[in-house]
Amino acid sequence: MKVLCGRVIRTILLFSCLLLLLAPLSRAEDTEQIFQDANDAMARGDLPAAITVLKKVPFSKTDDSGAFVRSRMQVARLQFALKDFPAATASTKEVLAVYPDNSEALNFLASVQKEQKPRYVVFWEDCLRFLPNLLKGAVMTITLVFCTMLISPLGGLLIALGRISRFKPFSVLCWFIIWLFRGTPLLLQLFFIYYGLPSLGITFKPFTAAILGLGLNYSAYLGEIIRGGIQSIEHGQMEAAKAIGMSYGQAMRRVIIPQTYKRLMPPIGNEFIALIKDTALVSTIAMVELMRSADQMFNAYFNVTALILAALIYLVFTTFFTFIFEKIEHRAGIYEIR
Amino acid sequence: MKSANQPLLSLKGITKRFGALTAVNGVDLDVCPGEIVVIIGPSGSGKSTLLRSVNFLEEIEEGTITFEGKEVGYVKNKHGRRHLDTPQKICALRSEIGMVFQHFNLFPHMTVLGNVMEGPLTVQKKGQEEARHIALDMLAKVGLSEKRDVYPATLSGGQKQRVAIARALAMRPKLMLFDEPTSALDPELIGEVFDTIRALGKEGMTMIIVTHQMGFAKEMADRVIFMEAGSFVAQGTPEDFFANQMEHDRIQSFLSRIL
Repeated sequence: MKVLCGRVIRTILLFSCLLLLLAPLSRAEDTEQIFQDANDAMARGDLPAAITVLKKVPFSKTDDSGAFVRSRMQVARLQFALKDFPAATASTKEVLAVYPDNSEALNFLASVQKEQKPRYVVFWEDCLRFLPNLLKGAVMTITLVFCTMLISPLGGLLIALGRISRFKPFSVLCWFIIWLFRGTPLLLQLFFIYYGLPSLGITFKPFTAAILGLGLNYSAYLGEIIRGGIQSIEHGQMEAAKAIGMSYGQAMRRVIIPQTYKRLMPPIGNEFIALIKDTALVSTIAMVELMRSADQMFNAYFNVTALILAALIYLVFTTFFTFIFEKIEHRAGIYEIR
Repeated sequence: MKSANQPLLSLKGITKRFGALTAVNGVDLDVCPGEIVVIIGPSGSGKSTLLRSVNFLEEIEEGTITFEGKEVGYVKNKHGRRHLDTPQKICALRSEIGMVFQHFNLFPHMTVLGNVMEGPLTVQKKGQEEARHIALDMLAKVGLSEKRDVYPATLSGGQKQRVAIARALAMRPKLMLFDEPTSALDPELIGEVFDTIRALGKEGMTMIIVTHQMGFAKEMADRVIFMEAGSFVAQGTPEDFFANQMEHDRIQSFLSRIL
């Protein structure tokens, strides 16, 4: 009997030891079961049930497995999805009470608060946050546009006169410039000037490289446009100018070129509108302009408002220039009105 | 001929080819000061080309142009090949020879006054005031003073051509060339242009006129020349020309076609 009793006691002790050993394990199993149940509930689309189930995960100060944080954040997200923002805030704060530095909880709290505000307030706050940087970038964009708008018509005129020149080396050179700069991507040209030329011992600051690339590219395009404009002027105009004793240069300056202004305005206006947008390409050669600023804001906050604002600023620019060019075109053609 | 002294313009053996086509074929012509020469002939006969050669708008292959007793316009390079003289010299010559075109070729971006001022201002480098004064004189001469501030687009064809004449006259040319000045005009507008040319003739302007207006040739010309296939076929005073040369087959068929 004694022996039997001893065995029974030993067995009981052994079992209780085993149970003690297995206890944490079973609790972990319980937690997994809770998450599993919650997932099932969510799969059924029964979100309140999922929340109830998840709340069974006990409060823990030493949350080694992260189950507590996981469950409460999940609860908060579900409450967020059910648009119960106060409850979602409360659940998140439960986590923050234990782990005040939990970044997931902090971010989530921010987006819950944001969600509680009216949309336009959120947008307005984003605008105020992004605009200073974007406007700084926009100033650089406008600077680039204006510099190119000063350089390229002069370069274009030179190329156009070269193309129609009877002096072969000059006309071949101008043909070559057009061939090269119209035939390769602007992005490649900018890369070559900024990253490629240093290997040949020529180094430019980003701004100089940007102006050089844009200026040459747009001179080549405007060159062909201006050449077309000059050649579209009736031949009799040149003859009449010559007949009163004008030199070729005088005839060009006084008679031919002034008549091209009206015809050139629409295509040149087109080019300049394209230019405003092409300046975005120089963001690739370390220039901080509007596109680059927008990109930086977008990447820092992952907030699409930065991109929308940049688009709006570009639209303001292009609209303004379209309007200006229409005015100039009208002015240039005033003599054609009968 | 009104004058028997040295010719103002003397052309010798003028030949102009366009590829295989010989547009002007060895033409000789002397024009005395104050003389009005009218050249007629079918289209493609080389009349315009000859006129344009005188103003160096066409570069001739052979022949010489003598203006005021000096051979002008062409020089030989060191290989003995002839080519046009320097642009400066050509421009200086052109400024002494006025030309009026069939299609007026007014500068559309300048006002009427601006068109007429342009030569004195840009070529002769005269001051604004002087150029303006000359231009107003010339506009008065062609009877268009009141149109000075409008753009050419607002003018009728006849008015345009009169402005073109004023523009040429503003350079005080010694010789005027008219290349079919009325061919682009409606019939009722031809008269005003010819009145202007007639007035010039009365002032003693030396003129070479290419035209299809036989009435005008009869009335105004000191000499009428019939040109065909690049050569002068017949010439004479209007009385002689229309009385005696008419029997020429080619002239007869031409005149019967246009009259």
